[in-house]
Parts: sequence; C-alpha cells; structure tokens
Amino acid sequence: MTEKVIEIRNLNMIYSNGKGNEKKVIDNLSLDIEKGEFVSLLGPSGCGKTTLLRIIADLLAPTSGEVSVAGSSPREARLSHKYGMVFQSPALMEWRTVLENIELPLEIQGVSRKERRVIAEKQLETVDLAGYGNSYPAELSGGMKQRVGIARALSMNPEILLMDEPFSALDEFTKERLHGDLLRIWERTEKTIVFVTHNIGEAVYLSDRVCVFSSNPARLAGVFDVPLARPREHVMLKTEEYYTEIAKIRETFEEKFYENI
Amino acid sequence: MRISKKGISAVLWTGTFVILWEAAAVFLHYVKEDPMAGRKLPLFSEIVSSFAEHGSSLLAQAAVTAGYTAAGFLAGAAAGILLAVVMKLSGVVEKTALPYILAAQMIPILGLAPIVFGLFKDVTASRIVITAYITFFPVAVNFLSGMKSADDDLVQLMEACGADKREKYSKLLIPYSLPYLFTGMKLSAPMAVSASILADTLSARNGIGYIIIYALYGGGTKGQFWPAVLMASVMGLICFLIISAVEYFAVPWKRKGGNNV
Repeated sequence: MTEKVIEIRNLNMIYSNGKGNEKKVIDNLSLDIEKGEFVSLLGPSGCGKTTLLRIIADLLAPTSGEVSVAGSSPREARLSHKYGMVFQSPALMEWRTVLENIELPLEIQGVSRKERRVIAEKQLETVDLAGYGNSYPAELSGGMKQRVGIARALSMNPEILLMDEPFSALDEFTKERLHGDLLRIWERTEKTIVFVTHNIGEAVYLSDRVCVFSSNPARLAGVFDVPLARPREHVMLKTEEYYTEIAKIRETFEEKFYENI
Repeated sequence: MRISKKGISAVLWTGTFVILWEAAAVFLHYVKEDPMAGRKLPLFSEIVSSFAEHGSSLLAQAAVTAGYTAAGFLAGAAAGILLAVVMKLSGVVEKTALPYILAAQMIPILGLAPIVFGLFKDVTASRIVITAYITFFPVAVNFLSGMKSADDDLVQLMEACGADKREKYSKLLIPYSLPYLFTGMKLSAPMAVSASILADTLSARNGIGYIIIYALYGGGTKGQFWPAVLMASVMGLICFLIISAVEYFAVPWKRKGGNNV
C-alpha cells in the first residue's frame, strides 16, 4: 500500500525577465512522492531543483501544471502547516532565543504561550540541544544553528519536511553528524522528506530515491532507487555498495552534464 | 570598582583636547600677541570662568533648545518610521515620493525656515517642524533600507509559516531593521540639535542659538558666545550618546559586534 503525499503533473516553470527573454527551468515534469519517503532532488545549480521545492512549498507559482501536497493545493498545505521548511542558511532571528525561534511557527499559528514552550522544549531535545533554549543564535555553532532550524521546521509536527540544501554550508564533519541526526529523526517520526542537494554522496546516503536534474535545458534526467539497507550508518560510507550507487548516478552526469554547466 | 577602558580613553581625549586648546590660545595671546586672539581662539580658562558667570542662564537657554530638539526629533523620527513603512508597503509610493523627499532635503534650512514660519504662523510649532524636518530623512532612508535588506530566507520562512502582513512586519521586518533605525537616529540626533539652534536664531527670543546671535550682533554679553558654542556641541554629543544608550538596550543582539559607539 502506497499513499502519495506529493503529486506533480506536467509542471512547467518559465522565468521571464520582462524583456522577452525566457528561461525554462522546469519542463513538463511529473513526479510522485510517497508517504514516508526520503527523496532527494539532485543537480547542478540552475537546474530547477530549488524552484521545484519552492513550488511545492507554495512560495512560487508555476507557469502551468498541477501540484498536490498532502491531498490539497500547495496553498492550502502551506496555510494548514502540512510542511516544515529548512533553508540553506539557518534563517534564525538573531533577536530571539533558540526556544523563541523554534516557537515562531506555533506563534503565527496562534498556539498558546504555555503549549508553545512545551513543544519547543521537546523539539529542542529531538535535535540534541536541550540546555541551549535560552541561548541566542549568535552563541551557537553553524551546525547547532542548522539543528535549531530543523527543530523549528518540526515544531508544527508537519507531514512533510522540505529541505533546501540544508547542510551545504557546513564543514564535512558537522555535515556527517547532521546526516546521522536527520536519518534518526526521519526514522522515528516517519515524515516525508524532500531534500534538495548538489552532493551526490549526500543524496545516495540519505535517500530512498534520487531525482537527478540537468540544466540547459532543465529537465529531470533520471530517477534512481537507492537499494541500500536501512538504518544507514556512517560505516556504510566505506562500502562498495555505496560507491556503486554513486557511480550509477555519476554516469548520468558524465554523459550529459558537464558540457552544459 | 573597575574603570572601563572606554572611560579612561574619553577622559584622556578630553584632557588632551583642553590642554592643546589652552596651549594654542596662550601662544596666540601672549607669544604672537595677536589682537584678534580673543575672536580666533579665546583662552579656555576664560571660557570656563565665563561659563561660571553665565552658567545658570546658559543652561536655562540650553534647556529651551533641548526641549524643542527633543520634540522635533521625536516627531521627525516617528514621521520617518511611518514613511519608511508606507514606502515598503507600496513600491508606487516609494518611487513617486522618494525623488521629492530627496529634492526637499536639498533646501537649506535657512531657506526653509521662512516658508515654515509663513505656513505655521507660530514660532513654537515652526521650531519643532524645522527640527523634525531635518530628523526624518536619515531615519526614513535607513529604516527603509533595513526592511529591504531583510534576509531572503527569513522572508520565505514567514511566508511558509502562513504569516500575514502584520506579522511579517511585527515579527520580522521591524525587529530586523532596528539596528538600521538606530544608525539613522544616531545620524540625525546631532543634526536635530543644529537645526533647533538655527531655528532659535531665526525668529525666536530664547534658546542657545538666540544667545549666540545676540552675543555676536545684538549687543549681548560677548563672554557668552564661546560657552554657548561649546554648549551647543556638547548638546549634539549628548543627543548622540542618548540614542546610543537606548540602542544598547533596544538592540541587545547587536552588542557583541563591538561596533557600538
């Protein structure tokens, strides 16, 4: 039994600069994402992967096509907090404490002060930051800030997590730690995760499925199932299976990609 | 009790300044025996003794000017904040209003004052309006540029959380732009003092500016001129320091940058 959480049909996105110059960043894309699935959108910059994520999040309106998120329109899904979003930058408000940052979506939703605090404290534990609640973002490391961003995205307990290159600004060691954290959270909460990245290894390590995008022309170049066993641990990063999967995806890139970047 | 480094350096600077002044004045008076020495650079010790003589009346006049400065500054800052929000809300207003505001700023106060007096036909109101007029521009421009430079991911986050316009301003744009607002206010506070003093000279019968003009041309006590001029510059400095102090408490998350004066 599979339940589709995100359905995309014949999606097109054309950017126009108003002077007659048009750039097609999504070309007739159809894609289904199932409940509880971890899907990566992988590709070089300018391939439309972030655009796709923002269309799913109702932060951008597509030129044409249909998108359904959690059984409703992206707009309804956004307004009923069906998804939480994590950005490349931690996007924390530096004038708010860590707890107050996590509470922001709850505050906008009108959850009572007391209830907000209870939820925020719990999410802070989820990301292993209990004890940092009253710190300000400026006092945290990059990795810790990004974990606060994840806790904030989880605060409304959404079905879906949309993540836009969340770890790409972090150093390798912090990144690997956060990969582990994210997988643990995903396994426990059974959320559907759509994860934008330009890192093949990261996509393979985390995902059930990797959607590979190419740029110029922007299109979905292939969808790869990742048959690696779960739960995934860091030791897996040294196995041959892992490298075989990376190599499969890399082939797509090598054939068609580099000449057009 | 510990004396801060800042405190020590302030005392050193002031002390050095006074000593250099006095040394230069003594040189002019007694070595070069310049007959105009009193006009060019009076003995600092004379200014002090003159201040001791006229101090109470000078302070009373300074208080008058300070009152108009405060009223004009508050009105001007409020107008600047309001205008910035309106310009941020409407791009049309920004595009149409900004050139006029800019052009209006080019009018010297000396030319503006008669117009304002003619319009308001009331000295008190005119003095406040002139001071407010000088204040509002740096406040409006800085506050607006603060709101426009708000972190894009944070703007998207507010959108994703389903925040309405009011929440976008109250929870993101306004707190985000507070440091910019204070930059504007720190610029305009000393300007407000100058404007207020200039307004004193134009048709008022009191205030520090009136003392200066009266001492120079009106047959007033010559000895009041230099103490009044010094008093005026000290007032500008105090206004700047007041705004900096308010900033220290209102924008605590920016304290660590070390760029605070």
